[in-house]
Amino acid sequence: MNVAVVMKQVPDTEAAVRVDSANPASIVEDDVKFVLNPYDEYAVEEALTIAENSGGEVIGVCIGPPRSETTIRSVLAMGVARAVLITDPMAVEADVITQGKIFAAVMREMDLSLVLCGREVIDTQEDALAPAIAEALNYPHVLNAGKITVEGDRVTVIRDVEGGSLEIEAPLPAVISCQKGLNDPRYPTLIAIRRAKRKELKTVTLADLGIDLKTPNSRIVALHTPPPRAAGVIAEGEPEDVAAQCMKWLAEEAKLV
Amino acid sequence: MAGVLVWAETQRGEPKKIAYEVAGAGITLAKRLGVPAAAVIINGGNAADELKKLGFSTIYDVQGGPFESYSSEGYAEALAFAGESFGATVFLTGATALGRDLAARLAARLDAALATDVTEILYETQPLRAIRPVYSGKLLAEVELLGEQKVISLRPNVFSAAEEGEEEAEIVSISPPDPDIRARVQQALQAAEGVLDVTEADIIVSGGRGVGGPEGFKIIENLAKTMGAAVGASRVAVDEGWIPYQHQVGQTGKVISPVLYIACGISGAIQHFAGMGSSKFIIAINKDPDAPIMRKADFAIVGDLFKVLPILREELSRVLQN
Ligand SMILES: Cc1cc2nc3c(=O)[nH]c(=O)nc-3n(C[C@H](O)[C@H](O)[C@H](O)COP(=O)(O)OP(=O)(O)OC[C@H]3O[C@@H](n4cnc5c(N)ncnc54)[C@H](O)[C@@H]3O)c2cc1C
Ligand SMILES: Nc1ncnc2c1ncn2[C@@H]1O[C@H](COP(=O)(O)O)[C@@H](O)[C@H]1O
Repeated sequence: MNVAVVMKQVPDTEAAVRVDSANPASIVEDDVKFVLNPYDEYAVEEALTIAENSGGEVIGVCIGPPRSETTIRSVLAMGVARAVLITDPMAVEADVITQGKIFAAVMREMDLSLVLCGREVIDTQEDALAPAIAEALNYPHVLNAGKITVEGDRVTVIRDVEGGSLEIEAPLPAVISCQKGLNDPRYPTLIAIRRAKRKELKTVTLADLGIDLKTPNSRIVALHTPPPRAAGVIAEGEPEDVAAQCMKWLAEEAKLV
Repeated sequence: MAGVLVWAETQRGEPKKIAYEVAGAGITLAKRLGVPAAAVIINGGNAADELKKLGFSTIYDVQGGPFESYSSEGYAEALAFAGESFGATVFLTGATALGRDLAARLAARLDAALATDVTEILYETQPLRAIRPVYSGKLLAEVELLGEQKVISLRPNVFSAAEEGEEEAEIVSISPPDPDIRARVQQALQAAEGVLDVTEADIIVSGGRGVGGPEGFKIIENLAKTMGAAVGASRVAVDEGWIPYQHQVGQTGKVISPVLYIACGISGAIQHFAGMGSSKFIIAINKDPDAPIMRKADFAIVGDLFKVLPILREELSRVLQN
């Protein structure tokens, strides 16, 4: 059973992101460290386990600038067999629904049972790519999987919702986004890292895919830095005193009691 | 014709709090655009009656077989169908677990412009623009929605709820053509009785490494109970196994916008702040006056949580009882 896993390179969570004054829709990338989107680690691990158990291949797919290659190599080192990268700036800048169609165009040529991705990308936080790919391929989708069980040509997923969880069953092929808690992602061995350098990483263009992008449906026109939170009150002293001050603040400033 | 169509999310036949918030934003937007607003209620029992005085011209009520449990495919079909009869150009949902799921599938189906987890609609812009947090809330993206149809999901606890007026909406039962539903809910598993979800609560009392262990969380739970609050946690507390993952707040947990967030024994790492930075008020209790959370809190208590929380709880229960 072949599994495609989509993954993206994003700024490290510690990174201090700054808006680029020359292009206010972008961030300054100079001293940003880029890593694999944290949720995608769960998708990769799950894809590898499912392919190992059923005999099949895991193929990585990414839309991103050329720098994405380092991240893709790290995923190849985890055990992904080969990868496809689309670097056209039009594709990288495209809205999430359009990206779904681009991924679908790549995947249509593959004999897939499952497409896995992370719950969301931590940079633009769209939380929408899985349904976009699913709709474009006419597959069902399930989001935020905390547990995935494949049996024959069906998959059962447990996903969280407010106040509980849902057990959802779907026929394969399907698209599933992966949540923390699904598994413990493996670390690549040194040998695997070396071997990953020789694995196939194919760059395809929108022209190769026969896609001609029109104007996007949505786009980021500017990024803004949120106003910093105003400095607050600092209370020090005996527990009785600080508790009393806190009560006074709750009543008079926050007006909550 | 044009209009704003709202998905009014319900649970066990009752409108959820988010339904009133999405209604509020939808009706405001429709007024600014000079178009009508309508709502769709799917498998919502008598919820239409409860929402009919909020200012909608029409409420589309969808009941029956394929809609008895949630499915992305079925609900997207129902919304698209209602949208067509109504002439909807803007669709609004809450950015709840199911609202996010539905908004994305619907936008893909309609090939619409999508903005998810929006915290502000710039009502006067043309084409319409919206603000959404990106990079874990470190930045805000201003998104322009260019498509003819637009789908927007709204972050809970951010928009003001719609209020009742005099006018009554017309309630119309509609039957979308039988949708092709492949991903089906087999079972809904409820969290333990009385456990409030962090994404739905107005107040959250949250514990981190400073709480010291599962026993320490009792003191957090007690305060939460007194205040009618939900219990949150840092990743450290979750990874240590002191409390289940569903309580985790932050980058890899839940993103919340409560009225009041009380961080106890939490240092306020950037990844934690990613989840709770848009709280209206923050109280922090920490032994270390230099912990990052202390610079971000509206009220920072330098002290031992084990000493301060019981006193605070007593005072609160005294005040709240009166
Ligand atoms: C990719 C990634 C994703 C992450 N996602 C998340 C996430 O979703 N959520 C999250 O929370 N973290 C997340 N983290 C982890 C984050 O970086 C921090 O490690 C974590 O938030 C720290 O948790 P803490 O504040 O409980 O612990 P600590 O940083 O150890 O802080 C404990 C605090 O408790 C105080 N304290 C100790 N005893 C007491 C006492 N008796 N009374 C009062 N105060 C006391 C200490 O002074 C200290 O400030 C993520 C990290 C990464 C790399
Ligand atoms: N440009 C991209 N290339 C590869 N994978 C992506 C890309 N954008 C999003 N993803 C994947 O889709 C998941 C959900 O992203 P999103 O819906 O954009 O928040 C992420 O965790 C990634 O696995």
